[in-house]
Amino acid sequence: MKKSTGMMLGTVSAAAIVLAACGGAEANSEEQIIIYSNADDEAIEVMESTLDDKGYKGKYLIQSFGTSELGGKMMAEGTDIEADVVTMASYFIESAQTTKSMFVDISSDLKPLDGGVTYALPILGNVGSIFINTEVLQQKGLPVPQTIKDLTDPAYKDLVSFPNIMDSSTGWLLVQAIIKDYGEQEGQKVLADLISNAGPHIESSGSGPIKKVKTGEVAAGFGLRIQAIDAKNEGLPIDYIDPTEGNFTLTESVAVVDKEGDEALAKEIAKVIATEARGGLLEQYPVALYEGEQVKDEHVPAYLKKWDSTLTVDLLEKHQAFFKEAQR
Amino acid sequence: MLKTNKMMKLIFLPILLFFLLFLIVPLLYMFWQSFKIGNVLTFQNYIDALSNIELREAFINSFKVSFVASVVTTILAFLLAYAVHFTTIHRHTKKLVQVGITLPMLLPTITYGFVLIYTFGNQGILTKLIGQPLFTIYGYNGLVIGYVLYTLPVAFILMQNSMQYIDKRFLLVSMLMRDHSLRRFYHTVFRPMLGTIGGAFILTFILSFTDFGIPASVGGNYRVIATELYQAMLGSIVHFERGAVISVFMLVPAILGVVMLTILERFNFQYKQVGQSELVKHRLRDVLFTVYSIVCVAVVLFVFSTMFIVPFTKGYPYDLSFTLEHVQNVLAEKDLTKVYINSLIVAVLTAVLGVVITFMSALLNARTPLKGKKSLDVASMITNTVPGMVLGLSYLFFFNGTSLKGTFFIIIACNIVHFFTTPYLMAKNSLQKMDPTWEVTAELLRDSWLKTIVRIILPNIRATIYQMFSYYFLNAMVTVSGVIFLVSTKTMLVSTRIKELQHFAKYTDIFVLSIFILCTNLIVKLGCDYITTHKEKVEEISK
Repeated sequence: MKKSTGMMLGTVSAAAIVLAACGGAEANSEEQIIIYSNADDEAIEVMESTLDDKGYKGKYLIQSFGTSELGGKMMAEGTDIEADVVTMASYFIESAQTTKSMFVDISSDLKPLDGGVTYALPILGNVGSIFINTEVLQQKGLPVPQTIKDLTDPAYKDLVSFPNIMDSSTGWLLVQAIIKDYGEQEGQKVLADLISNAGPHIESSGSGPIKKVKTGEVAAGFGLRIQAIDAKNEGLPIDYIDPTEGNFTLTESVAVVDKEGDEALAKEIAKVIATEARGGLLEQYPVALYEGEQVKDEHVPAYLKKWDSTLTVDLLEKHQAFFKEAQR
Repeated sequence: MLKTNKMMKLIFLPILLFFLLFLIVPLLYMFWQSFKIGNVLTFQNYIDALSNIELREAFINSFKVSFVASVVTTILAFLLAYAVHFTTIHRHTKKLVQVGITLPMLLPTITYGFVLIYTFGNQGILTKLIGQPLFTIYGYNGLVIGYVLYTLPVAFILMQNSMQYIDKRFLLVSMLMRDHSLRRFYHTVFRPMLGTIGGAFILTFILSFTDFGIPASVGGNYRVIATELYQAMLGSIVHFERGAVISVFMLVPAILGVVMLTILERFNFQYKQVGQSELVKHRLRDVLFTVYSIVCVAVVLFVFSTMFIVPFTKGYPYDLSFTLEHVQNVLAEKDLTKVYINSLIVAVLTAVLGVVITFMSALLNARTPLKGKKSLDVASMITNTVPGMVLGLSYLFFFNGTSLKGTFFIIIACNIVHFFTTPYLMAKNSLQKMDPTWEVTAELLRDSWLKTIVRIILPNIRATIYQMFSYYFLNAMVTVSGVIFLVSTKTMLVSTRIKELQHFAKYTDIFVLSIFILCTNLIVKLGCDYITTHKEKVEEISK
């Protein structure tokens, strides 16, 4: 019996060591700030290099999500969320703050152009546009599209890609442009035709369409304008076209989750992203957000437009319903 | 007769507690949630779900596509196993089939989808060779092909295993009786295999029905139930109750499957003694089966070859020159080693703890007179039925807000429970085959029960233990559906990272990570196989 008791103790202590090891791995990285972000990888790269330059290397971890995944997580978990810092579409941060009051005050002397709120700082502005793969277009003998409506031409069947508004905020830019220009009724038809043309190429991620256009999987896509500019500069057969319906914009902000007073480092990091990383982000996402910011001429879209009212999750739900209706 | 002793109870109790805490209670809790709106108990969630057109469509789609895939898989697997056991094709071809067909098991299903896109998509390798895409790979087609690739190895192994126990002398008898070849096939192969065929069909159906990885990558706009569940729980507008209801729906085919398997049980019969007799040569048959086997293996290898081509080309499909740049970039990412180490920690701990728990459970069940030991069989039935996604989700519900949330521990527990059945049955089968009087003899010699296990049982079951270890390890390495709801930033795994990379459509990175998983799994599998066969050889020689 003695021996068996010994073995039992041995087993138990082995299990304890294993558990302690698991716990230890947790405890080790305890001081790391977790950043949840819906940003595209280009933006994340800028944030990372800025944070590393400013001496925060190893002090943070960025976890990427799709806009909808992150939005759902924020709404469901509130302050229980694992993240300390969130970078996310501004309207989502505002809605989460209204319903869950989950962010702390990070007001500073920064002056955002649109007044702004005290719990979030805008970090980048997204602009939507059409982009094309010139080679594929030529191969298939397709005309160069000038408007979003042009992409509903049956010739583009299965050759268009755009992000799904159900999952991606970039997808919302497309729906905004359609509703604004064509109104609810005609807009419904335009969208329905577009959906049927895109077939399987309705992407859940905002970066999906540019990847599909880059690989030649489709001839044209709708997405972030800057992605197409970058691809073109890389020497790929890609070009961007500002649709006459308008280049709609959307801002994303950074906010700090309320961790009951334990937010000092998180606040520092959030401010670095909003200030120091801003230069790099402005290059990638050429929309002025703060007083005194300048944007290069080539980066200014031809038909810059904004939705008349403030963007909210409620409006998003309405536009999602509009999209679903068109999908029928 | 061996008596129950304290030690047995001491081991039994924590195992029972483990299953209670990590299987029964979370599932019941989720079931309970599916009837709740706020604090009110109601059927409304079910009514809502059933009247939701999209959900209904997804359910029917899942049924349809899984059915087609499992019919195809069952036929393919049967013919492959037949080729190995009932034809005289060259033994190298047989070996090729056994290895080639099962290789995809070493990869996460989420990779399958990306591989398909790069093979059959507009810019896919096959499309490049032919000039235009054969069909669109997104949606129904992709799902069927993906599910077949995913379930073929399992179905093949199952059939193969069963065919080993068919007495081939009956073939000779049937031949001597001048049976028509169809009649001979029916009575000597098909009829004895009927139970297994049904089992393979049900298994592949359930696997396809509940898989998340393939629809996540190649589903397109074809709705299936697994993606609906994911969207309900991690979509822009979260519907916990709907998630719970979908989980309950996902259990339906599995439960039906168990019922059907019990019915099919009747068709299983065992030959008392399996006689091996030389198969009669048949030129045409052998040529046909050689061609068939090689084509099958070639297709599998061809499809997965993209994984090794794309990451090593400069800018697929425009610049096909060789480069290590992408691989280096991926390797240079600082998070990656961490994620990889996370995966290793999880896989190793899952395997070690999993083997301990399954072995102990099997031991208690097969070789002790313990009261209530049948509950372990019940646990193994349930773990076999519950899809990984449902299990993961019930953990999310149940452990949300506790300190266990987002830890390695919960991921490991989920894996151990999720993959419990197979290693448990492996251990149970081998334990049952051993001489039933060992423990009694040892007891008469006044050896303690534990001593008997360490000295006699363990050495005799060593080969099986390695197989169990390898099973747990491989599955922990590739699983997505079980853990997708449980990982956090600090416990991210390679397989779930692939899902994240999909978001940015970083296919090259996805393939590089997949190669990582493949290599790790190959090393572990070959290692375990080597130890097993090596030991057997040594034992044979010493005999």
